[in-house]
Amino acid sequence: MGVMDFLMQGFQTAIQPQNLFFAFIGVLIGTAVGVLPGIGPMSGVALLIPVTATFTSGMDPSAAATSSIILLAGVYYGAMYGGSTTSILLNTPGESSSVVTTLDGYQMARQGRAGAALSIAAIGSFFAGIVSIIGLVLLAEPLSEVALKFGPAEYFSLMLLGLAAVSGLAGGSITKAWMMTVTGLLIATIGIDAVSGVARFTYDIPVLFGGLEFLTVAVGLFALGEVFKTVLHKEEDAEKVAKVGRVISSKADLKESAGPIARGSFLGFFIGVLPGAGATLASFFSYIAEKKISKNPDKFGKGAIAGVAAPESANNAASGGAMIPLLTLGIPGSGTTAILMGALIMYNVQPGPLLFSDHPDVAWGLIASMFIGNLMLLLLNMPLVKVFAKIIETPAKYLLPIIIAISVFGVYAVQVTTFDLFLLIGFGLAGYLLAQNDYPIAPLVLGLVLGPMIENNMRRALTTSNGDFMVFIQQPISAFFLVCAVLWILIPFVLRLRGKEVVVNVEG
Amino acid sequence: MQTRKFDRYASILFALLGATFLIESRNISKSAYGSEVGPNVFPFLLGLILILLSVKLFLESFKNIQKEIKNKETIQIKRFVIILTASLLYAGFIETLGYVLSTFLFLFISFQAMERGSWIKNGIIALAFSFFVYYLFVVVLEGSLPGMPIWFS
Repeated sequence: MGVMDFLMQGFQTAIQPQNLFFAFIGVLIGTAVGVLPGIGPMSGVALLIPVTATFTSGMDPSAAATSSIILLAGVYYGAMYGGSTTSILLNTPGESSSVVTTLDGYQMARQGRAGAALSIAAIGSFFAGIVSIIGLVLLAEPLSEVALKFGPAEYFSLMLLGLAAVSGLAGGSITKAWMMTVTGLLIATIGIDAVSGVARFTYDIPVLFGGLEFLTVAVGLFALGEVFKTVLHKEEDAEKVAKVGRVISSKADLKESAGPIARGSFLGFFIGVLPGAGATLASFFSYIAEKKISKNPDKFGKGAIAGVAAPESANNAASGGAMIPLLTLGIPGSGTTAILMGALIMYNVQPGPLLFSDHPDVAWGLIASMFIGNLMLLLLNMPLVKVFAKIIETPAKYLLPIIIAISVFGVYAVQVTTFDLFLLIGFGLAGYLLAQNDYPIAPLVLGLVLGPMIENNMRRALTTSNGDFMVFIQQPISAFFLVCAVLWILIPFVLRLRGKEVVVNVEG
Repeated sequence: MQTRKFDRYASILFALLGATFLIESRNISKSAYGSEVGPNVFPFLLGLILILLSVKLFLESFKNIQKEIKNKETIQIKRFVIILTASLLYAGFIETLGYVLSTFLFLFISFQAMERGSWIKNGIIALAFSFFVYYLFVVVLEGSLPGMPIWFS
């Protein structure tokens, strides 16, 4: 069967009523998550895992996994659409990948062109979404075929490369990023060892035998951490929301933005595929690139439509591109994809090269649903942007306690122990303190998700080599990955020594 | 709290965490059937790395004079403490008080802590949320949540 056949099958899965419904709910909540400042895509997705888990509890495992991942991915790329709304109307980015959109978007809004900015952001996001899904369709098969040839040594090195990439770009201090990664890996060792069946660090406490649940840790660190931060720091501020006006693009606007949208989409897609570099970097780079290419760069920062079109396309394309290493290699390149991966593993669906042969319905159903989801988003965002703009006015005093309540409900509904609730609150506090002091959290979650797989592959590789650690260097592909990982750490380090400023990813 | 000061304490804490895993990993059986490398190796190595990184962070926290331009914000410690305590009590009593009652109490207290407002409006929102979730999950989706306490019904 060719790619097209698989894709058609995927569409058959995606247009099943419940999956259409899940895609719709996903993009709807995603847009809301993007609009609300304080809840980023990471905490949004983390928060919804338990909710989707309960919604899909009656289905058979494979269908449940498909429906959930369709919804969760919808939240992810929906947030990229929604993030632009607050950037343009309020000058406050809904999430970090829309930071650069504020530069020109808010200026446009002040000039009374908010509607034009919003509509070009939606159109650009749609185009970029489609480009990245086509890229995903074309690259998925060949990449997973290459990955099928990997042995444990190659996998171990590839995952190290993934960790190195995310940690290297994760924030101000590389030391802190690595500490978070290692802590995540260490936490992952708690529980029964999958290879030998030996209990580790459990001290005969029954709840520890299964290990610390990924879900509890992720919801605590991201969702509760952000809630605690807002509770402590947010002052009540009544910001003025700019008038939206007519949400329609004029021909002149479309003509002017066609180039930036196309360039932003391709640039964003390739940045998204790279592990570690996510939507934030993509939007940043595409903005700089447009400014360099532009005939009149002075207009940037004063309401240039290209300054909205390019980064908004790029961040959407990047979120699609980031799905490629996740689905084909089983290596999440960012915090949000790490959470998506954790969700898939919860359903016993292992992302990676075997995903396309073992669970074609999940993989292709997801890809097809992303086409549909993007279409839904375009239709939702053009006429309904005024409704979403109203969400900004949701009072924080109701929103924050309800987020805590949803977290508690979600974790309790899945885990059914109060131990996990206390763990949730504990990780929420830790998440707040760590993020407040520039410890990036995404690497910790990545370490937690990848930990068991890294360990298993390492031990399997060492078993075949009779405990000889040289095996990782003797295999050429594995050695190549390790060299890349080392370079990824060393190059920013050298650049910094030479006094160059290194662009880092704020969110991961 | 100043980040550098936090870093110093954090590095000590992380070093202790690493040391705990390092020492405790020696109690795990070393041999494993079918595997050359026992289950103790990976945590041992990670614990070691975490200690080394903590030492590095500890040293960095002295020499690195970071720009502390964090403008003084008013930290709303009171409402945070109330909400945190309420969350802990919520977690502790969810099974004895039942989902609806504990959620209602938690939300009501938290709403009031965030901003003193109308008792009736806050009460209605809190009640609506807890009943809606309970109804949707237990009645429609046939899931299981702790119901009303015996003395209540």
